Amino acid sequence: MKKGLIFIISAILLIGTLAGCSGEESVQAEKTKDGKVIVDFWSFWGSETRRPIIEKIIEDFNNSQDEVFVKHTYLPWGDIWTKNLASVAAGNPADVIINDINSVAQRAENAQSEDLSKYIDESFKNQFYPHLWETVMYGDKPYAVPFNTDTRLLFYNKDAFKEAGLDPEKPPATWAELEEYAAKLDIKDGDRYERVGFYPLWGSIGAASWMTSADGGKGFIQDGELYINTPKKQEALQWLLGWKERLGEKTVQSFEAEFGSEQSNPFIAGKVAMWVDIGTFYTQIRDYGEDMNFGVAPIPAFEKGSGNWSDGGGFVAEIPKGAKHPEEAMKFIKYLTGPEAQKYWAMKNYDNVANKEAAEAVVNELKGDDKYVYEASVKNLDQTQLFPVPVKYPDYQNRINPHIDSVLLGKTKPEKALAKAEKDVEKLKRK
Amino acid sequence: MKSYDTTIARRGAGLAEKKEKTSRRRMSRQTRENIFGYLFISPWIIGFLGLTLGPLLFSLFASFTDYNITSRMNFIGLDNFKRMFTIDDLFKTSLWNTLYYVLFSVPLTTAGAIFLSVLLNQKVRGMKFFRTLYYLPAILSGVAVYFLWMQLLSPSTGLVNTFLAWIGIEGPAWLFDPEWTKPALLLMKMWSVGGGMLLYLASLQGVSASLYEAADLDGAGVMQKFFYITLPMISPIIFFDVLTSTIGAFQIFQEAYVMTENGSGGPGNSLLFYNLHMWNNAFEVFDMGYASAMAWLLFIVVMVLTIINMKLGKKWVHYEGGDNK
Repeated sequence: MKKGLIFIISAILLIGTLAGCSGEESVQAEKTKDGKVIVDFWSFWGSETRRPIIEKIIEDFNNSQDEVFVKHTYLPWGDIWTKNLASVAAGNPADVIINDINSVAQRAENAQSEDLSKYIDESFKNQFYPHLWETVMYGDKPYAVPFNTDTRLLFYNKDAFKEAGLDPEKPPATWAELEEYAAKLDIKDGDRYERVGFYPLWGSIGAASWMTSADGGKGFIQDGELYINTPKKQEALQWLLGWKERLGEKTVQSFEAEFGSEQSNPFIAGKVAMWVDIGTFYTQIRDYGEDMNFGVAPIPAFEKGSGNWSDGGGFVAEIPKGAKHPEEAMKFIKYLTGPEAQKYWAMKNYDNVANKEAAEAVVNELKGDDKYVYEASVKNLDQTQLFPVPVKYPDYQNRINPHIDSVLLGKTKPEKALAKAEKDVEKLKRK
Repeated sequence: MKSYDTTIARRGAGLAEKKEKTSRRRMSRQTRENIFGYLFISPWIIGFLGLTLGPLLFSLFASFTDYNITSRMNFIGLDNFKRMFTIDDLFKTSLWNTLYYVLFSVPLTTAGAIFLSVLLNQKVRGMKFFRTLYYLPAILSGVAVYFLWMQLLSPSTGLVNTFLAWIGIEGPAWLFDPEWTKPALLLMKMWSVGGGMLLYLASLQGVSASLYEAADLDGAGVMQKFFYITLPMISPIIFFDVLTSTIGAFQIFQEAYVMTENGSGGPGNSLLFYNLHMWNNAFEVFDMGYASAMAWLLFIVVMVLTIINMKLGKKWVHYEGGDNK
């Protein structure tokens, strides 16, 4: 009696473990009951606003299909990449995944994504902005299709401009003007700033972008060459330090401490008069700004004619290496990046999309301020660059940033810091 | 008489035979029990072999390759280890940051916990309240605490600097100044010594009152009693605490990942700890081979330190059994 019991318990335990191991795979069906191929689509769009939008796009696609059924799997940001990596290694990945646009080449190089060239022709490619298409190419082959993107613009407070005696229809066009305007827009009470005209490292922009802009739009690494320690980049870094010294460490920190919540954004609260951010920042002004009188303009140029450079990021749709249904997956990707879905996404999210036709359709359909900012952001894409992670220097940013930090903390001179940064990155080069 | 004897003898023999039989049966029963024992722990054994030992050995092998998870796994000998000491500058930075943290956090938190537990071991009214109060921080979990401290340590609006300003000290920028980021983390760790405190409090209460009475009769002072009775009596717990918290301190990761911008370990890489650098290599750059090598090096460092600790421990840890000569 006892023996039997023990045996049964052991058996249950054993079977339990084995079942735990095999788990999902056996459950995962390849086809729906009515014979459609199931395409597993992974995204990190799980928020209240985004989830319904992407699911509507999927539903529309599914309704138009006799052979393919897309199943949406939401994975939280941060989890999705490691999970994708593990599933590619295990040979059981998703069919379509949304991934970062700046690391497409890196994934292609490491055999994590499928070559899409056999599904893509010239006319398909021409639907997208060329600077985005460049990032999905690795060794002359496309490994992803761009989905969305962003670009940085200068937002400025028109009422503050009027108050300071500046023309609200004439935003600053160069760095010199930016400094001049900022000084006029400052409001000080003794030593304390009540309003800061501008600070270049606030908002959605960093030191690297200003340095690139000063250098005629040349990034740290371009076509495999290093351009880290250049005279213009040194000059830009010195310029950034100048802003910090002008405001003082304390002012910068006390303002930064308040950046946490959306409702109290310092630009919207009128505490900062000019602010660089992505186009979508407008939705915050619209929702919390109480009819704020604002304008948008391209980021001022280093000097007249040197270019109003901006930089952007974004996401792509790609097929993980070893996906079971690449053909069906591509059908869905084509819909996802096609004009209809892209337009829907752009309208609902107020997001810059990769499909040119869709972006222009959105500009035509929007009205008022919605249209004004969106149009400016679309126009700005012409001067927007992406800086994909170079395959030979995957970890370069971590080597450069500490040196930039050190300059901005007043601990090292720009020439010295950038020389060291360039040396550090050189060491990193992969064969 | 004789027959009686033989009967007894025979009976004895029978008994012995019976005994042997039962013992044989017991033996086989023991084997059976062993088998069942293994069966019962088989979920764990399977888990250990498949999920712990297997990956462990795999990572040891990977540390000698250029494994990138998806497309490469070439044997490259000791290149990964060479790279740590010759090419990768951040390796040194991260090792230094980690050693700094271990060197300060372990003694500080240990001393802090002992000090606190001695205070909380006094017989004063309302002690239960204070014990609860000081233990409370220990029940709050990771990320929430880090966010709380990011607010507290905010340079111009945080409570810490506001308080310092009251007493006339201009507080540092804490998490924004590379010189102050590590002290900021240490401060945060000191705040949550409650867990260790509880351990010491329990052992303090186990110290026999008769020892103190004897010391009182001999005219020993408070300090003498603390150093000659209390500390030696709780030294096994101190030893355990130092050992585990050293190992734990080497594994510091979350704090830096959560409390720095984009989890980069900034500003100026001052919070780039060993595990954070390893994580970056593994999952940002896909250099799994290199990351595995880093993991094994850390394992060796921690093991050597633990052995040293064990050896040193014999000199100062007092076990009441008296068998540690």
